Amino acid sequence: MNSSELSAVLPAVYNYLGFRGIGKTEETDRLIADCIEKLETKIQFNYLYKFYDSPPPFLDKEPYRSFLSGSRGVILSATTLGAGVDRYISRLFRVDMTEAAVTDACASALLERMADDYEKTIAPDLSYRFCPGYGGSSVDDLRPLFEELKPEKIGIYLGETCFMLPAKSMAGVIAVGKSAKKSCRGCFMAGSCEYLKEGRKCYVSEKKQ
Amino acid sequence: MLRFGEKTVVFDGGFGSELEKRGLTGTPEDLNIDAPEIVKEIHLSYAAADAVTTNTFGLNPIKYHGKYSLREVAEKAVENARAAKKPVFFDVGPTGMLIEPTGPLGFEQAYECYRELAEATKDLPDGYILETFSDLYELKAAILAFKDVTSLPLIASMTFDKTGRTLSGASPEIVANTLEGLGVTALGINCSLGPRELLPTVERLLRAATLPVIVQPNRGLPKLKDGKTVYEMPAEEFYREAEKMVEMGVSIIGGCCGTDPEIISLLARLSGREVKKRPVAPVTAINSGSRLVIIDGVKICGERLNPTGKKALKEALLAEDYDYLIDEAIRQQEAGADMLDLNCGLPQIDEKRIMLGAVKKIQELCDLPLQLDSSDPEAIEAAARAYNGIPLINSVNGERDVMERIFPIAKKYGAVVLGLTMDKNGVPKTARERVEIAKRIISTAESFGIPRHKIMIDTLVLTASAEQPLVRVTLEALSEVRKLGVKTALGVSNVSFGLPNRPLINRVFLSAAMERGLNMPIMNPLDGEMSGAVAAYRVLSCEDENAADYIALYRDFTPSGSASVGAKKPAETSAESLYDCVKLGLKSKVAELAKEEISRRGALGTVNDVLIKALDEVGRLYEQGKLFLPQLISSAEAAKTAFAEVTRSLPAGTSSKGRVVLATVMGDVHDIGKNIVKVVIQSYGWEVKDLGRDVPPEKVLEAVKTFRPDAVGLSALMTTTVPSMEKTIKLLKENGCTAKIFVGGAVLNAETAEKIGADYYTPDALAMAKKLDEVFGK
Repeated sequence: MNSSELSAVLPAVYNYLGFRGIGKTEETDRLIADCIEKLETKIQFNYLYKFYDSPPPFLDKEPYRSFLSGSRGVILSATTLGAGVDRYISRLFRVDMTEAAVTDACASALLERMADDYEKTIAPDLSYRFCPGYGGSSVDDLRPLFEELKPEKIGIYLGETCFMLPAKSMAGVIAVGKSAKKSCRGCFMAGSCEYLKEGRKCYVSEKKQ
Repeated sequence: MLRFGEKTVVFDGGFGSELEKRGLTGTPEDLNIDAPEIVKEIHLSYAAADAVTTNTFGLNPIKYHGKYSLREVAEKAVENARAAKKPVFFDVGPTGMLIEPTGPLGFEQAYECYRELAEATKDLPDGYILETFSDLYELKAAILAFKDVTSLPLIASMTFDKTGRTLSGASPEIVANTLEGLGVTALGINCSLGPRELLPTVERLLRAATLPVIVQPNRGLPKLKDGKTVYEMPAEEFYREAEKMVEMGVSIIGGCCGTDPEIISLLARLSGREVKKRPVAPVTAINSGSRLVIIDGVKICGERLNPTGKKALKEALLAEDYDYLIDEAIRQQEAGADMLDLNCGLPQIDEKRIMLGAVKKIQELCDLPLQLDSSDPEAIEAAARAYNGIPLINSVNGERDVMERIFPIAKKYGAVVLGLTMDKNGVPKTARERVEIAKRIISTAESFGIPRHKIMIDTLVLTASAEQPLVRVTLEALSEVRKLGVKTALGVSNVSFGLPNRPLINRVFLSAAMERGLNMPIMNPLDGEMSGAVAAYRVLSCEDENAADYIALYRDFTPSGSASVGAKKPAETSAESLYDCVKLGLKSKVAELAKEEISRRGALGTVNDVLIKALDEVGRLYEQGKLFLPQLISSAEAAKTAFAEVTRSLPAGTSSKGRVVLATVMGDVHDIGKNIVKVVIQSYGWEVKDLGRDVPPEKVLEAVKTFRPDAVGLSALMTTTVPSMEKTIKLLKENGCTAKIFVGGAVLNAETAEKIGADYYTPDALAMAKKLDEVFGK
């Protein structure tokens, strides 16, 4: 990762680490850069998607209806950094807790970033990824999404309680031909969100529309 | 019959896409019975191929949920495929479940699943093709199952991504070593990508595999067109790429997603061509699921997972404390070991069960290949079977009955075997006699179908203090054994028993042995002098090209500094006091400074006047947002190290504030928060029993009964796992648990915590540490 790519991903890493504006040091920057360099050798990024002219039946309800209204199609997507990253982070927790926690945050930030970059190659007019669990939707909607998309092909599996394996994976819904921004409105965490209490958000950057 | 490896064989192409073209939907396997004429028509359309595969990709007891029995579908599927009048290979796909340790599917469950399928089909086809597997461990279970039931040809094929790895992280070389070891007929690649993108991976596989290689690519990369996935690579182009592969030495060629009868008819032009001979030299290699070690030059085998003379390891094995073993494995890996010896032999334990547990736990987090070290064949077999890769078995000797017990296990699981040059008469006193035993071991192995490159020889080190003249005999035998074309091993540090300054003797002996051709010193990799000698020898013998590894290892070396290997972290900022070290999270000096403080202030003075004050300051800065998570964790880790020194200085059981059981509840695998809580509350002086993640309520209850904690901390990250947390709390309370129950995690708040019966909700690790102190008046 070159320095400009690193600078682009740093804010998200700091955000995941709960950075609140003070206390950031050059040492932490170096630690993050070091963690990313090692992490990159473990990443097996995979992305799978399927396009639909009209939404599959499980999306025919709120909040998906509102999210997709005015779009000219919908994409179901799933993406992962691969099982090697999970193993690597688990191992780090036994070697160096600090490095493990920072690497975990870097992995989350890189997954978002790599998925954003990949989506730009699909089409220029995509919304952000709306993942089941966001905005009042139920995480249980991952089940029909997995039925449709079959992300097992790229090594993502859904557990009984709807956790994804590998852990550094995402699955979501993208509106095609529609600009939609992430928002805290309707998020199930809105009432108790630590980020909101501090006037921050859990996400950093919007994909350019 | 087909002559794999001699004449090029053409297999058929995509089946699902052909069904789709004909408008057929539903469970594809059921169509064998519901629409046999159409299925036959597709098989017939592929009759230009030399072999066809059945429409049974999803037919296994775990994945198939259709209307019929396995046998009913299999019979019809083979009958339909016979319409092409070509040899029929029964198509077997993965279960669709993620296998352990990451997923819920047990290795033996996977084995049973495929065994049931093998039993139901063994009299039907002309061979089997296991394809589109993305996890080598699941494929191993399937291969073992089919080989236990049938001797029909067995082809095994995996998917690789564009980086040249399977989804579980195995390289082509690892796949080749494992599948050849397991004794398949042919191995290869299918699906994944188009032929052009697969070419580099195919090249690597051809360089690594001695067996015939099969390749069945997709028809290029898929494109989205009108909402549908389409493969548009022109048939002629696919053919040209396939022809290149055959010219490189691929023996069996066919197609996967998007390929059709037109493509297979073109590929038929390649049928019967002489297969290009590939000069692949067999290597002595062992591998885990994601790391291959070719035993050439000098490779270090870490010896520290052997209880002989190690009290703490003995206790860990007796208590089945696998965490201790994992930590020891990781420490050796960090110190530069290439592989690890694992010995669980203690008179009081069920060695088979413990060895099996240790293998499963270690391979979960440490990817170094294992040497399975036991005198109990049952323990060796259990471990070799559960091992995700190709292990080294330690050991056989010149005794016939020992070889007869071990070699069949090595053959079945593809293991490399270490042979000791001794027999019922003991260790011979001459090199000639030791070499004779080595020859006997090699020839006996060959009679069991185990090739020479799968054998290593240990010419046995005796102690210089008791058997001084025999030290040279060991080395002479070593040189001679190398001439037999096998690799060598020695338990190096045996040489110095009973002598002062053992490291010096060990190091000189190691250097002499390496020069005589020692490939695998079994030694302590944490001994910097020994590991350093290996690193230096690798430079002098040109194994470490341009001394790259050596320079990386000693870049920060100063003549006055320690020569320890593995301590590669840059120097930390200097800090003079224990207080500063904890506050700044500087771990390296903490133990030393803590000892000084304890001698000056006493244990309690150190805790109250230094550690608590430093932690309070860190906590205050964290709450103010002047420190953030990494710094908090670093401080906690530093404090934890200091507390360990305090504990060591006090009588057992008097230093801890109390006990806490921690668990991420069943159904939830997100444990980073719980892990951070663990280190922070440990840094505050609490003793923690960490049950891990996805922990069933019953296991929490069991831990509460045995560990008798003051508090239980439960975490959950997902809304879907809050009910699991509630169930756990209910079970604890119903069983009279008096420990206070703390909950935390992203989806919880004080209100939810109260609703599900928890005593306390704490939003983060520091809050829990403080709450514990408050509740228990510490």
